[in-house]
Amino acid sequence: MAGVVIKGHFPRRRIFRVVAVNILRYLFLGAARNWIRNIGSMAPALSSMTVLLLMSGMVGLIGFALHNLEQVEAGQASLLHVYMRDDAVAADVISLMNRLQHDGRVANVTYVSKTDAFARAQRMPGLPQLAGASDSNPFPASLDVQVKNINDVAAINTLVKYNVATDPVNPTSYDQGAYQRIQAVLFGVAVAGFAFLALLGFVAITVTINSVRAAIHARRDEVTIMQLVGAPRWMVRGPFIVEGAITGGLAGAVAGLATFGLTMGGIASGSGSFTQFAPGVTMTVAAIAAAIVFTTGLSLGSGSSLVSLRRHLES
Amino acid sequence: MRPIVEFKGVTRAYGPRLALDDVDLALEPGELTFLVGPSGAGKTTLLKLINREIRPSSGEVWVDGIAAHTLKASRVAELRRRVGVVFQDYKLLPRRTAKENVAFALQVGDLRISDDEAMDRALDALEAVGLGDRGDSFPHQLSGGQQQRVAIARAMVLQPPVLIADEPTGNLDLETAWQITDLLEDIAAFGIAVLVATHNVEIVTRLQRRVLTLVQGRLVRDQPAGRTGRMAWLASS
Repeated sequence: MAGVVIKGHFPRRRIFRVVAVNILRYLFLGAARNWIRNIGSMAPALSSMTVLLLMSGMVGLIGFALHNLEQVEAGQASLLHVYMRDDAVAADVISLMNRLQHDGRVANVTYVSKTDAFARAQRMPGLPQLAGASDSNPFPASLDVQVKNINDVAAINTLVKYNVATDPVNPTSYDQGAYQRIQAVLFGVAVAGFAFLALLGFVAITVTINSVRAAIHARRDEVTIMQLVGAPRWMVRGPFIVEGAITGGLAGAVAGLATFGLTMGGIASGSGSFTQFAPGVTMTVAAIAAAIVFTTGLSLGSGSSLVSLRRHLES
Repeated sequence: MRPIVEFKGVTRAYGPRLALDDVDLALEPGELTFLVGPSGAGKTTLLKLINREIRPSSGEVWVDGIAAHTLKASRVAELRRRVGVVFQDYKLLPRRTAKENVAFALQVGDLRISDDEAMDRALDALEAVGLGDRGDSFPHQLSGGQQQRVAIARAMVLQPPVLIADEPTGNLDLETAWQITDLLEDIAAFGIAVLVATHNVEIVTRLQRRVLTLVQGRLVRDQPAGRTGRMAWLASS
């Protein structure tokens, strides 16, 4: 019998293996080889992206610390001390206390006697000397009113300051605008931080896009041939995206490690003062920040490559 | 026989200038066709439309049943695997050997092809173009004619039904140009539609194959095979 063609099927597992090997070789090994070959043109992108990511990591951590600080300040600012006059009648104090406890805007009310106020003052930095300088107890009894929403503190202050039990000279601890001033400062810092990062981001992305464009031009013939012989689009573009991801990933890894290292250095050098300056910034937070910086680097690198490819490699 | 390439009222403009103007043509499988005309007549534009490097401004381009004029960018690769392309300047990758250049086309076109299989098929293609013994040579170690043979092997290794060649003999001496033309004739003999844009009058007139003449974007003459040469005016009335 002649002329009979038998079509054999390759084992599926072998096809998968061949496809996997080819993808690995063309997409990843090819990209890595080209990245090393083009390291000169990629260096500016790598360095600018590293600086950007390092600054982002640090600004992010500072922002996180400022946010925590704001929360602490907001908590303190929503605690209103209502000072009692020394000759206040117990019934008036109880009446005021009951009235506040039944107010929906108030979370809780605590009575602090003169003795408790004196004891508390002695625990505060600088105040023990002041407390000891006087023969009598200078600290008044007070009602500590924890207001649910900081915006209601002014209204509660108005409610209590003319009460018969309240000290007419120094009725409450309310400082109008203290919290707003903190918020304004934090807002200014945040805007400046974002503007700085946006500018740096623009520079890093532009440099990366240009680096990828240079890489495309360096391999123009190869790309043209790939397109002409019918290589799928992802196969033509993939290696460039991987190259961008390598640049971004490397920059992210360096910046992430630096962010983590600097934070750990700060914690190690003086945990007490560091906690005061950067409340809530712990080793876990630093590790998360480093991971975010690394991921951002990967996304930024591959994203910039994608933008460059869309501009310079349309078939 | 169903045409493998078909143009229906194709116009292509670059700004206000018409590179191709209302062109109708059909190429049959197994047909070797020459595309002639002065520089700027629209020959390269016509070839680029077949390969979907560009889209027509109006009209339809059909290649092996695929509507190239409406083809999405994501499906262009599918069309290009059906169209082999040969250039005047060969466009070989200088850092790869002849065999690797041919195998590269195979592997980037189909990921299911292993290294060994790609190399075997690349060697077969090189043997078919008479370069079986030069597979390990780099392009700079080959003559112009040999480099063009490698380029033809690369274009044919995927066994496309259409081969387009843009001035394939433009950089070659006459003897080598004839060798390349013989090769293209052999390819057409295997049922592949071969379209060659050329300025080489001698080859066109002596070979007596179908000739399409473009002038200022218009297809002014379509001479069937065997009716070219000095007496061609008889067919163009």
